[in-house]
Amino acid sequence: MRKKLMAITLVTVMALTLLAGCGKKTSDSQSKKNDRAAKNTLAVGVAQDFDSLDPDHMTVAGTKEILFNVFEGLVKPNSEGEIVPAVASEVEKSEDGKTYTFTLREGVTFHNGDPVEMEDVIYSINRRRDGKDAAAQLDALSVIKKIKGDGNKLVITLSEPSNEFLAFIMNAYIIPADYKDLETAPIGTGPYKFVSRKIQDSLVLEKYADYWGEGGSIDKVTFKVLEKAEALITGLQSGALDVVPHLSSDQIAQIDKSDFDIMEGNMNLVQALYLNNAKKPFDDIRVRQALCYAIDKQMVIDTGFDGYGTPLGTSMFPSFGKYYDESLTDYYKPDIKKAKALLKEAGYPNGFKMTITVPSNYTPHVNAATILAEILKEVGITATLEPIDMNTWLDKVYDKRQFQTTITGLTSDNMTARKLLDRFGSTKAFGDGDKRIVGNNFTNYSNKDYDKILKKALAATDDEEQTELYRQLERNLTENAANVYLQDMADLVATRKGLSGLTFYPIYVLDISTLKWEK
Amino acid sequence: MMKYVLKRIGMLVVTMLLVSFLTFLAFELISGDPARSMLGTNAPSYQVDALRHELGLDQPFFLRYFKWLTGFFSGDLGISYSYRQPVWDLIGSKLMITILLSLISFALIVIISIPMGIFSYQWGGGPFEWIRTSFNQLCMAIPPFFTGILLSYVFGILFRVFSPGDFPDLYEEPGAAFLHLFFGAICLSIPRIAMTTRMMRSTIVSEMNKAYVRTAISRGNDRRSVLVTHVLKNSLTSVVSFLGQTMAEILAATIVVEQVLGIPGLGRFLVLSIAQRDYPVVQAIVVILAFWVVLAGTLADLINQSIDPRLRLGGDLA
Repeated sequence: MRKKLMAITLVTVMALTLLAGCGKKTSDSQSKKNDRAAKNTLAVGVAQDFDSLDPDHMTVAGTKEILFNVFEGLVKPNSEGEIVPAVASEVEKSEDGKTYTFTLREGVTFHNGDPVEMEDVIYSINRRRDGKDAAAQLDALSVIKKIKGDGNKLVITLSEPSNEFLAFIMNAYIIPADYKDLETAPIGTGPYKFVSRKIQDSLVLEKYADYWGEGGSIDKVTFKVLEKAEALITGLQSGALDVVPHLSSDQIAQIDKSDFDIMEGNMNLVQALYLNNAKKPFDDIRVRQALCYAIDKQMVIDTGFDGYGTPLGTSMFPSFGKYYDESLTDYYKPDIKKAKALLKEAGYPNGFKMTITVPSNYTPHVNAATILAEILKEVGITATLEPIDMNTWLDKVYDKRQFQTTITGLTSDNMTARKLLDRFGSTKAFGDGDKRIVGNNFTNYSNKDYDKILKKALAATDDEEQTELYRQLERNLTENAANVYLQDMADLVATRKGLSGLTFYPIYVLDISTLKWEK
Repeated sequence: MMKYVLKRIGMLVVTMLLVSFLTFLAFELISGDPARSMLGTNAPSYQVDALRHELGLDQPFFLRYFKWLTGFFSGDLGISYSYRQPVWDLIGSKLMITILLSLISFALIVIISIPMGIFSYQWGGGPFEWIRTSFNQLCMAIPPFFTGILLSYVFGILFRVFSPGDFPDLYEEPGAAFLHLFFGAICLSIPRIAMTTRMMRSTIVSEMNKAYVRTAISRGNDRRSVLVTHVLKNSLTSVVSFLGQTMAEILAATIVVEQVLGIPGLGRFLVLSIAQRDYPVVQAIVVILAFWVVLAGTLADLINQSIDPRLRLGGDLA
């Protein structure tokens, strides 16, 4: 009895302190914001620490996303999905598609003030290409046969015609020749220069005054690493942060909309229930189609993502413009009867049991899996969730292919449709292990027509022809129900009122140079 | 004595070898390939293999362990997989923070609980005894992460004494950093203070019932002077070994408290590095933490020996 009384008193005291803590609010957040707007600085919250800052060693998507502001290649992407000149002012492609001539731009300087010389450019491309320093990111620069500098012209000869060469050379960032301190003090040519970095704490960038282009507006940007989702929201509310990208709809619901604008873009990924096409019963096209008919993607988006998200019908997303075939989205209209009939035809009149393996730290995928399991009950399929950590997922599901079905989001890290499509080329036609030059076909999709079209597409020199072939590949995936495609998840970004200019790109980057405080 | 010290140092080295081997083995057994973890789903297999080769992960297990071991003894902790910087450069400052945090907690425990133990023996009992015992029980039961959340709410957001999540630079603002660590130390030490106090009290109680105390009192000494001159010294030995173990538990708890209060110490780094499969970092941190724990145990033993000479002859407590 006495202890109980003690407990009650204590709980009351604690609750009161908590309540008192909640009393104080926005006034403080406002004053801090005004401070930064007046000083023309910005604080951005990121959920994951940056890894290596060496452009040829960084592998974390979040690092590439931010250092996009520091480094540039000969060409760079714009928000429209086009590739535009950067360190090179002009690009010329020969008729046969085998020779590319880049004219170096006048007056481009590195952040240490040195002008960019031909020697630096050749060094940078070779460093990325030879793989000794950059084994992590060999990319597709292996088609380069010869690199030659001639005055301010750089001539690159390829061993075979490549339509997508620019999309790959774009990621070969230009760095000073033989510069050794890239890990601790990276130097590039971009609109923002590196100031400092504290491991697992922060990264600071500053506007580069001598940038060759228009450059940014904000003088100084601090990226604060906060691994906990709640910490990001608290950071916004308390005034410590101005921008947080990649928020979920749950997190958005907690933010005070009178202080923040919520911008909606796309994550540019293909979230799907990926099926192991080599495992029973998913080796039967009727079963796969039945799943497609059974699952209402709009319902998944509405119930699991508060309606944010773009439904997809194949391995391609809308930001990729010309490659994206919207008509495939509704190829399978939700139809439980049809799904049941197909299952019966395939020999599963009473459904079956299946496992959905999900990376447990990715809440959107876990949410989608939970809803799918509910939906699939209607056609008699009992789906069990198997949450595993991301590293185990990569090992077991992605590399060893020991799974039935899984939910994940696949992306492309350059501006070509190829990364999203070439992975479905069969093992028979494109080989396996380290001899395979196309993406990992973890779904074991195997379709003769697909292989044929893919080979043609990879060899095509004409852009229009290649685009058409890629679209045929997308149709093939849909018609054969390779996977149950769900959506391109929404990229929700909270920005403090008064900040404008946020621009979404078709690849995973956050462009600081377009942001500005309204005066 | 010298011989004993040498023996303890030998044991310390053996323990660390064992710990390092076990961590190495653990990573061999759990699933997940660092190269694939780093590159994600966009990289084709040949890139993953190339990175694996670059990191030396394609070499046999024992060769890798041997290389790591020779590196370690020549002061080279290796290169972090994800930061590509020498491990020592990354953990040096964090090690300092964690050591400071555990030392402050330890100091709090010693300074508060030993006098409290004596106090509660001397003035314990009576009609308000239930308050003391239930408060003690409560303190023992409070998990450090809860105190952490409570303190960051009350002192972080309400009174703004420190800012949780925003740790000041240890060298630029030592005062503010110390204050931040102090709050962490409070979270860590509350349950341990309660335990040590109780331990101290019950040891005194059992010592006071021993024959030598009865003899001393029957010879005309008063209880108080017997307590101070004889009993305290004898009670200390078991408290000191208890405190030695406490160091290990403080370290384990720092991992949680550092996460809650946003203190950039080794614990937080360890958790993130395990998630990233950054083996060289994990390996180094685990061995350093093990060293710290074993060292605390060794020191406790040596102190006990100087307090109680019987132990030097190889005898045991009890």
